[in-house]
Amino acid sequence: MSEVARSTRRLVLGAGLAMTATIALGGFALAADTVKLGVSIPAATHGFTGGIVWWANQAKAELEKAHPNLKITVKTASGAPEQANQLQDLVTVTKIDSLVIFPFESAALTQPVLQAKKKNVYVTVVDRGLTDPSAQDAYIAGDNTAFGRIPAEYIAKKYNGKANIVALRGIPTTLDNERWEAFTGALKQYPDIKILDGKYANWNRDDAFKVTQDFLTRFKDIDVVWAADDDMAFGVLKAIEQAKRTDIKEVFGGAGSKTMVKTILDGSNPLIHADVSYSPKFIYDAIKMTAEARLKGDKLPATYIIPSALITKENAKEFYFPDSPY
Amino acid sequence: MPSGQTSAPTPVTEAGTVPTGKPARRFDPHRFGPVVGLVLLLIVGTALNPDFATWDNMMNVLTRTAFIGIISIGMCFVIISGGIDLSVGSMAALIAGGMILLMNALAGSVGSPVVVVALGMLFALLLGGGFGLAHGYLITRGRIEPFIVTLGTLGIFRAVLTWLADGGAITLDNDLSDAYGPVYYGSLLGIPVPVWVFLVVSIAGAVLLNRTAFGRYVQAIGSNEQVARFAAVDVDRVKLLTYGLLGVCVGIATVLYVPRLGSASPTTGLLWELEAIAAVIVGGTSFKGGEGRIAGTVIGAVLLSVISNILNLTSIISVYLNAAVQGCVIIAVAFLQRRRP
Amino acid sequence: MSLHVAFDGITKEFGPVRVLHGVSFDLHPGRVHGLLGENGAGKSTLMKILAGYHAPTSGTLRIDGEAVTFRNSRDAEQRGIVLIHQELSLADDLTVAQNMFLGHEIKRGWLLDDRAMRDRAANALRQVGFERDPDTKVRELIVAEKQLVEIAKAQLRNARLLIMDEPTASLTPSECDRLFGLIDRLRQAGVTIVYISHKLDEVERITDEVIVMRDGRFVARAPTAETPRQRMATLMVGRELTDMFPAKHSPAIGKPLMAVRGLTVPGWAEDVSFDLHPGEILGFAGLVGAGRTELFEGILGLRPRSGGTVEIEGRPVRLRNPREAMRNGLTYLSEDRKGKGLHVTMGLRDNLTLMTLRHHAQPLLSPASEDRALEHAVANFGIRGNPQGTASSLSGGNQQKLAIAKFLEPDPRVFVLDEPTRGVDVGAKRDIYFLIARLAAEGRGVIVISSELIELIGLCHRVIVMRGRRVAATVPADRLSEEELIAHAIGTDIGTHTRH
Repeated sequence: MSEVARSTRRLVLGAGLAMTATIALGGFALAADTVKLGVSIPAATHGFTGGIVWWANQAKAELEKAHPNLKITVKTASGAPEQANQLQDLVTVTKIDSLVIFPFESAALTQPVLQAKKKNVYVTVVDRGLTDPSAQDAYIAGDNTAFGRIPAEYIAKKYNGKANIVALRGIPTTLDNERWEAFTGALKQYPDIKILDGKYANWNRDDAFKVTQDFLTRFKDIDVVWAADDDMAFGVLKAIEQAKRTDIKEVFGGAGSKTMVKTILDGSNPLIHADVSYSPKFIYDAIKMTAEARLKGDKLPATYIIPSALITKENAKEFYFPDSPY
Repeated sequence: MPSGQTSAPTPVTEAGTVPTGKPARRFDPHRFGPVVGLVLLLIVGTALNPDFATWDNMMNVLTRTAFIGIISIGMCFVIISGGIDLSVGSMAALIAGGMILLMNALAGSVGSPVVVVALGMLFALLLGGGFGLAHGYLITRGRIEPFIVTLGTLGIFRAVLTWLADGGAITLDNDLSDAYGPVYYGSLLGIPVPVWVFLVVSIAGAVLLNRTAFGRYVQAIGSNEQVARFAAVDVDRVKLLTYGLLGVCVGIATVLYVPRLGSASPTTGLLWELEAIAAVIVGGTSFKGGEGRIAGTVIGAVLLSVISNILNLTSIISVYLNAAVQGCVIIAVAFLQRRRP
Repeated sequence: MSLHVAFDGITKEFGPVRVLHGVSFDLHPGRVHGLLGENGAGKSTLMKILAGYHAPTSGTLRIDGEAVTFRNSRDAEQRGIVLIHQELSLADDLTVAQNMFLGHEIKRGWLLDDRAMRDRAANALRQVGFERDPDTKVRELIVAEKQLVEIAKAQLRNARLLIMDEPTASLTPSECDRLFGLIDRLRQAGVTIVYISHKLDEVERITDEVIVMRDGRFVARAPTAETPRQRMATLMVGRELTDMFPAKHSPAIGKPLMAVRGLTVPGWAEDVSFDLHPGEILGFAGLVGAGRTELFEGILGLRPRSGGTVEIEGRPVRLRNPREAMRNGLTYLSEDRKGKGLHVTMGLRDNLTLMTLRHHAQPLLSPASEDRALEHAVANFGIRGNPQGTASSLSGGNQQKLAIAKFLEPDPRVFVLDEPTRGVDVGAKRDIYFLIARLAAEGRGVIVISSELIELIGLCHRVIVMRGRRVAATVPADRLSEEELIAHAIGTDIGTHTRH
């Protein structure tokens, strides 16, 4: 018997209408005047996931305050198997009725999520889609294509279709491939834009520093470095500073971290002019949308893509959250 | 002695001590395996990209090797003594985070940024030494396997740093960063400061290992702990000190690392333990302990960074295969310096 | 089913060292051969060649007239030749049955047929008088039981020639009796037996003939019945025993150099008291397991002590580790030379100076100073071998001299040697005896723990005999004899019973 049904019955019994209890089992979402929402996300291991954790807790604090009948449980995991175990605990021990999950891996977590859904848990999947879409009620994600396409278009426009670019990549994953393909795809139509090379720097400042040092040794004329991540951009800037290179005009990060947005806002670094948003705040949005829809008894649209936007000095203010760690 | 006469050709014992028959160890060609590997890599690198052989590139490689190299020298002592430390990467990250937080906090009350940085550096060395001694204490007094102790602290150190950083990064204040910068970016006689430090630590390590009683004890313990114990060596104390020494080395590496990016994040020092252990073993130190070489360790550390440098300077191999190339080179070098059974 | 073995000019070299110098003799089918020789005489090496563990450098091994070359011990087993190792070679964590079939497992398809193996093992075990369950872990067996398992294992392989290397080293008298009974039955069944032992009374009792080797050469063979024990010993040593040992000088009588009172090492030694005088050589005799080695490990602080006091030169000392013992003038050379005495993979110099590195540090170690120490030790102790090589490149005798030199470097007042001549050839043995006498003459106190009774009798001023963790007797020089020592070691009743 699902938790929804059980709490429903308790309500009905409390009203002294035992005779009609069976009717209520139909699962009027409306009847769920309390919502137990579970949030399963990766543990904070780098800047971006750190932001995810912060925003999730932010959502919990704000939403529980606004809705006394909402209970949010946030669990972080450091790997797919751990996340699957936590999912089981959320369903059987915490007895959640709604779930927002940021899966570590699509394939490994599809079955565990499907099991939860079979127990009448409402499932919102964030960022990485499951391999079997029937396991999810709603899908909310950032726009990885735009993450690659926007900087490409920005660079092409700003440099009039003529530039030498070196690029950093993250960790070999589908996520990284989507961004990379969107970036290179969008630049195909500009024959004078050359991507000199792209190497993995593992979304890691230190590796970005080293890879950039070697790029600088290897290529004497670079216009733009697509760092593809604000953390990596940090290492890139340090390497350029050390080499005292003047040919490089711009470093383009990605994700819209607090420090990067602040730099754009203040115009404090001559190499930083723009960024693309891919904020960990989408977990906040996902939790909020799910919780509010569930409290009302509504459903979410099957797929909701949080658009990525170009951040420039003009609009940077909208993307600046001083309290977030990221 | 009273008996001048001793019987002619002495047979070996029945139990079958098999003499190796090697005249002297100094002629062993296998010792030069890592050097041969490095020279080959240098030739390959130069052939693939002429920029490889430039002074600037060499200094880049040596500078970035400095952290792993310095840690490897400490690790060399631990491995020779028969131990292991898996936590060095996490330890470096936590020391980095700790010293940045301390320096940021001191910046308000202490006027001179140079003094603040000096205090921060001192703190890093003390913290490293303290962590190392704590490992040594748990291993010798607690009688817990070093693998387990340091696997535990590997998780603890990184988790504490992540908690301190709220999952993000801990960043050094700007004016401190300017005062501290020269420790990584500065150079002396055209050679970057970290390379000098690496050099000094290497020489000190070699002297300590080969020319002091402590170094001899470390080798004796790794070669056979029981024999050392019976020979009145204070085994526990020597082991404790090897871990303390490694901790200090991690502290030194961190002191050099922090000014590079001026920040510590949960990815700081990720997998450094494997790189340091690989450098030691590739350099010809026996994983079983007892025998090891500082010079080999230094070459091993340089060799590992040269591989990734060459891969970054060329595009002939798919980026997806980078790790495979590194793996092949490591195995090939280990093959060159293997010992006969 | 017996087989005839002939060694024909067998030589064996390990690196530069020649261990066997053209050994030729025959082993006759269905007889029990006592193979005699001092440690280092080449008996074990020769038997390892026969059992396929070593290949001869030159010479021919003939089985039933046919020249054979064994590539490994399995080849030898195929011919029915099985060596039962001195250090028993059973895997502790496997069961008796698993051990007996190790490498020869019975399979059904791809799977092990445990039941068949257990049944056959039980059958073989019953024949040798092993009473326990074949599923018992070997770890739980006592040494005598392990020996039976080894013999049963050999039987399973249809052994026709059985080599036993020091089989009674760790057995009690009644266990020995059982083993001898088994050997008798095996002989009647036509199995050829080579019996290697230092215990001449056993050799006298169970062998048909004795073969003597010395320094890698065949020396003599004779029917056991015609060879008195004294003659066997002289053949083994190669000279009259009186020539082996230095003359005994009487030690100073006065205040003891070391006094131990009521010392207890739980589980190993109880309420042990003794005195050691300057210039005295004090022997410790006893069966394996009587607690002699463990007593001294306790005195050194390597094992917990639960009571008793130790005084050195009149001062009470509390020794918590070998380091403190060394500082108080006591060093101990273990019987386990490779496991506790020397770093065999390290150089001679590094071994020699390990205990006294402080003397060579100023503050950096001075290789020149260490080399001088090595030169001095090489000359003083007659260590022969490559000074640049590792300790493992030395012969057993020279390793032992190096080890003695190492533990004398700190210049101890009290020097304890545990089995000082184990694995040492005759020449080196004599050197070591004279060295020990010299150390005593210099006024040191020397303690010799030994299982070689001849050695204790020839060398010591007094011998303490331990039995079952306690001091059973202290025998003065004028009463020292094999009979006396054995009687105290095994208890007088049993002693008179076993000696006919």
